[in-house]
Amino acid sequence: MADVNMTLDMVQASQVGMKAIGAGLAVGLTGVGTGVAEMGIGAAAVGAIAENKDFFGLGLLFTVIPETIVIFGLVIALLLLF
Amino acid sequence: MLTPKPMSRMLIVASRDQAEPIIRELYREHLFHIEDYVEQGYEGFRIGTPLLGATEASQELVKVRAIENVFAIRGEDIDAKQKLSAPAIQKKIESELPGIEKEVEDLTTARSKLDTKTKEYEQKIAELAPFKGIPLDLALLRNYAHFSVLAGYVPKEVALSIPHEIETVKGKDRAFVIVVVAAKDRAQAERELQEAQFQSVAIPDEIGTATVRTAYYTEQIASLKKETEGINAKLAKIKESHADLLVACEEAFRARIEQTEAPLRFATSSKVFVAEGFVPADHAADLSAALDTVTGGKVFVSEQQVDPAHEIVPVEYNNPEFAKPAQLLMDVYSRPTYTEVDPTLVLSIMFPIFFGLIVGDVGYGLLMLALCLGLWMFMKGDEARQFVKILRNASIMSIIFGLLFSEFLGFELPWAPIIYSRHLNIGVTEAGGHGAAIAQLLIVSVWVGILYVTLGRALGMINHARQDHGEHRIKAVLANLGWITVMWGILIAIWSMFPIPLMPDLTGLPIVAVGLSVGIVIAIVFIVLGVIFIARDAVLEIIEIPTIISHVLSYTRLTAVGLSSVAIAMVVNYMSIGMFITPGLKDLSIVGIVMIVVGVLIFLLGHAFNLALGLLDGGLHSIRLHYVEFFTKFYKGGGRKYNPFGMKRKFTED
Repeated sequence: MADVNMTLDMVQASQVGMKAIGAGLAVGLTGVGTGVAEMGIGAAAVGAIAENKDFFGLGLLFTVIPETIVIFGLVIALLLLF
Repeated sequence: MLTPKPMSRMLIVASRDQAEPIIRELYREHLFHIEDYVEQGYEGFRIGTPLLGATEASQELVKVRAIENVFAIRGEDIDAKQKLSAPAIQKKIESELPGIEKEVEDLTTARSKLDTKTKEYEQKIAELAPFKGIPLDLALLRNYAHFSVLAGYVPKEVALSIPHEIETVKGKDRAFVIVVVAAKDRAQAERELQEAQFQSVAIPDEIGTATVRTAYYTEQIASLKKETEGINAKLAKIKESHADLLVACEEAFRARIEQTEAPLRFATSSKVFVAEGFVPADHAADLSAALDTVTGGKVFVSEQQVDPAHEIVPVEYNNPEFAKPAQLLMDVYSRPTYTEVDPTLVLSIMFPIFFGLIVGDVGYGLLMLALCLGLWMFMKGDEARQFVKILRNASIMSIIFGLLFSEFLGFELPWAPIIYSRHLNIGVTEAGGHGAAIAQLLIVSVWVGILYVTLGRALGMINHARQDHGEHRIKAVLANLGWITVMWGILIAIWSMFPIPLMPDLTGLPIVAVGLSVGIVIAIVFIVLGVIFIARDAVLEIIEIPTIISHVLSYTRLTAVGLSSVAIAMVVNYMSIGMFITPGLKDLSIVGIVMIVVGVLIFLLGHAFNLALGLLDGGLHSIRLHYVEFFTKFYKGGGRKYNPFGMKRKFTED
């Protein structure tokens, strides 16, 4: 990254930018992962709730289980940024 | 606490003529969980027959429910003003109820007749509609001996080859025509019209022009509507004055039906009946004494110890009053079995704390509290009220943590955060400011995770010690201990290699052999021991070992979700105040005022959105940290609900 023509300010600024990109990737990609995982569970849960409304609580809960993935991404992003 | 209520098995035997007083007493006490008798249980015993009056009571109940349906009233939505005593309700059932039933039935019949008539008239108006453009008496279009009249729609103009008269009313995309032909040409005319895509319309059987008739029917409908409104007003009056009585009657009939049908659940021979079931152990003696009193000693009651290994004992929670709302959350997952540790207490204390840690904002906490108040007025059911109580506790914890974090809708309160700060540097341009103590907050949440996982495994040891038998019992208990030692071994290894704030620093420990410090050696011993314990119980469990790390780290969501909510709040504040309201106030022209309005809108919408997210995030993540990371370590559930014979009376007394 560090080109001969770059000043110290530019290098520092680009480092901050890289961190921001990394944080964005961490949240974004884990978000996609969570989404893919929740897709199947959510569809099945809605089907089960249509059959029996009592399943709502448990169905909602199962659906949010893959949320852990995006939480890890969020933690990494927070550590990177602050 | 931590275990369900102790139960006793109870056997009641009496002659059949004592059935009625016994059933009434059991129903009144509301303690006896009946085990339904299955036929072929005992020789010579069959399922009993209902007591006298079951059919009548069912018929009456159906009638009362029908009226309640008309009025759309439900017992759970009505607050009981006073409880009616049994003789009082009986008197009312005899004197007032038939009158009300008759009146309501008459009124609803009259109303449905009016409805039918209205529909009929509306249909006629619809039939008349095409003829509105024809200024002719409709009677002139019928009853000719030598002519045929055809009416209908055509897409475009038609020309017939036979002699005819035609009247056309042009519409938007099609025309309405009335064609008069000689009766002998009718078939020919129909054929030609068919080719022109003619859609026939029946000529209404009316006298007078279509416009006059439509006006007449409209008037009729209006007067019918007025009549219906009169009936509705009468019904509303009945509803207002008799709703209390109706729900009370429903309750009384329901109680009567449940009592008269109880023998269907008992084993009965020609002379005696046997009722089996469960009673909370501390009430068993009272119940037995009460049964003795009502029958004058003509009953045999035997209390036995329950045997959880061979029978499914119904489970009633045994929690202090403050923990009761959390039972609702337990039932969503699964009720504990009779011998299992009941984690309701932990849940009831820790759920609001987790929620508070995540939301941690005085402003949002107060808004949620206001929401609770609104829900309390609106929701009357038992479960709904428990739910509101859970939310109330969570909101109060949010306010407390908000005070500690010094947060109010993302702004800082006039003091510095008492515990670690969550204020992010959003919209802060000048240097300085303390910023958020993210690393510390994350480590605190990891500590919560470590303690939770340890507690979960410890409870797992207790559960296995209680429930399992023989060799498997020792193995299962040791396996749970193994999980604990593996986790702490990993922790000690990490602490020996890296210094981490807020955690023990073991990097300085002396080295014993081959470059390994004391900490590392202890860690290896712990891990190896743990893995052996786990593998002795179930080898395949070894592949689950990485879940130790992921489960502990999962608790970092307490910080991460909370910080994201703080970030949204601060961004909303910065956007509304920093970008719109402040510049708007500087320049109070029309543009400035528009900017202020937009800023206020962003503020309101943004915080409403974040409040909804906070409720959802705070609630779901707190509960899943219990369900997924905590309960899976020790809790199986699947207990049967203790459902005593009887009813919580609301409107009537026995």
